[in-house]
Amino acid sequence: MRLSIFRYNPESDTKPRMQDYEIAREPGDRMLLDLLERLRATDDSLAYRRSCREGVCGSDAMNINGRNGLACITQLDHLKEPVVLRPLPSFPVIRDLVVDMTRFFEHYHAIRPYLIHHGPEPQREYLQSPEEREKLDGLYECILCACCTSECPSSWWNPDRFLGPAALLQACRFIVDSRDQATDERLEQLDDAYKLFRCRVIMNCTHVCPKGLNPAAAIERIRQAMLRRGL
Amino acid sequence: MKARYGGLRGWVLQRATALYLLGFIIYFSLHGLLSPPASFEDWRAWMQSTGPRLAALLFFVAVALHAWVGLRDIAMDYVKPLGLRLAVLAAVAGGLAATLTWAALTLSG
Amino acid sequence: MTEPGPVPKRPVFLQPLQIELPVTATVSFAHRVSGLLLALALPFLVWTLALSLHDPAGYGRVLAGLQYPPVRLALLVLAWALAHHCAAGVRHLLFDAGIGTTLAVARRSAWAAHGFALAVAALVAGALW
Ligand code: SF4
Ligand code: SF4
Ligand code: FES
Repeated sequence: MRLSIFRYNPESDTKPRMQDYEIAREPGDRMLLDLLERLRATDDSLAYRRSCREGVCGSDAMNINGRNGLACITQLDHLKEPVVLRPLPSFPVIRDLVVDMTRFFEHYHAIRPYLIHHGPEPQREYLQSPEEREKLDGLYECILCACCTSECPSSWWNPDRFLGPAALLQACRFIVDSRDQATDERLEQLDDAYKLFRCRVIMNCTHVCPKGLNPAAAIERIRQAMLRRGL
Repeated sequence: MKARYGGLRGWVLQRATALYLLGFIIYFSLHGLLSPPASFEDWRAWMQSTGPRLAALLFFVAVALHAWVGLRDIAMDYVKPLGLRLAVLAAVAGGLAATLTWAALTLSG
Repeated sequence: MTEPGPVPKRPVFLQPLQIELPVTATVSFAHRVSGLLLALALPFLVWTLALSLHDPAGYGRVLAGLQYPPVRLALLVLAWALAHHCAAGVRHLLFDAGIGTTLAVARRSAWAAHGFALAVAALVAGALW
């Protein structure tokens, strides 16, 4: 298989370049990550992140033939050659396919991704009805891989001030959680020109999410909650 | 209280004006298609009757507000240097205000 | 070993043409372009309105202007822009009401918005020529 991979080594390169590789596919190679692992065995200067190799850790997100995805769950059979691999768009590149996620996690922390409870803690666990629990489906499964935020044009133009689809999906997850008592504060915090309202429902986020989640719909849910609160 | 026009308020303004604009455009195009003005007198009489005139006036107000939110969004996305952005926003606001005034004068005259 | 220097300025990969552009994104972009075109056309609209309401001669000039190919072309582009902006706008309003926000439906409505705008443009072109 032919691959063309974005290479950048801060110690020796002044600017990034594309490097071509040719590697024979073996019977065991099903996912792109399988091939990358063997490629790295031949060229140990190639850098990328990976850990779980089964789509749950979110560390091997990269731009594959123009589309963000996880190498470990991207089937080789479906890829056009040469397979062009680049780092996540709009994220600063540390080296090759490894990007700096600092800003991404700052945005994540900004939405306070934890339950906020005023008053005394419940004596036992927080109780939640099955219906209340159901509201979290499609929100809690996010693995924070950043595929969505990296492919969101609104994030491209305002990377520092627009929180991006991943963080907003998480904001929605806590806003609709019946156990959280900071709904008002959360909505208030998001009501400015940049944090949420840069989203124009382009839906690139939903299009690329490797977990099949829908950040665009979550953002619309937040807007509806804001509207209801404002009325 | 911070006045946050860019957030929910700007968004609501954009949607509310959109609804009115949509209604007006449909009404106006249907009227133009079904009973096109036969002459200058005909056209002027129609535009000077209370209903269409008020509707048109409101149309220009709504269009100016709607365009303001939209153009401001474009400037926020693509025009990064602060001075330039302020200049663009000032030009947009001035242009829209002038257009609106002109339209109001035309319709009231 | 060398001293750890300042962190080098990191490159960023961001070439929109190298990144897949789903149909929903093209609708969004066209919504922007059409909105900008319509906003730019606004002064001309008021000018035409003022001229047509001024006197019979002005009214005649507006009608006569329709004969010029450049004017017709501009009208055609604006008709496309208006149709697209309205269709994509309705789509937005439905999204806001929580309707059609799944990816499959959003993709279909995106194609529909493009199609509607082209159809209106074709009708206007037919009427003009
Ligand atoms: S929403 Fe999807 S694409 Fe975005 S970070 Fe979560 S899992 Fe990744
Ligand atoms: S829907 Fe919103 S968050 Fe998702 S890609 Fe588009 S602008 Fe970004
Ligand atoms: S390696 Fe964990 S998601 Fe791919």
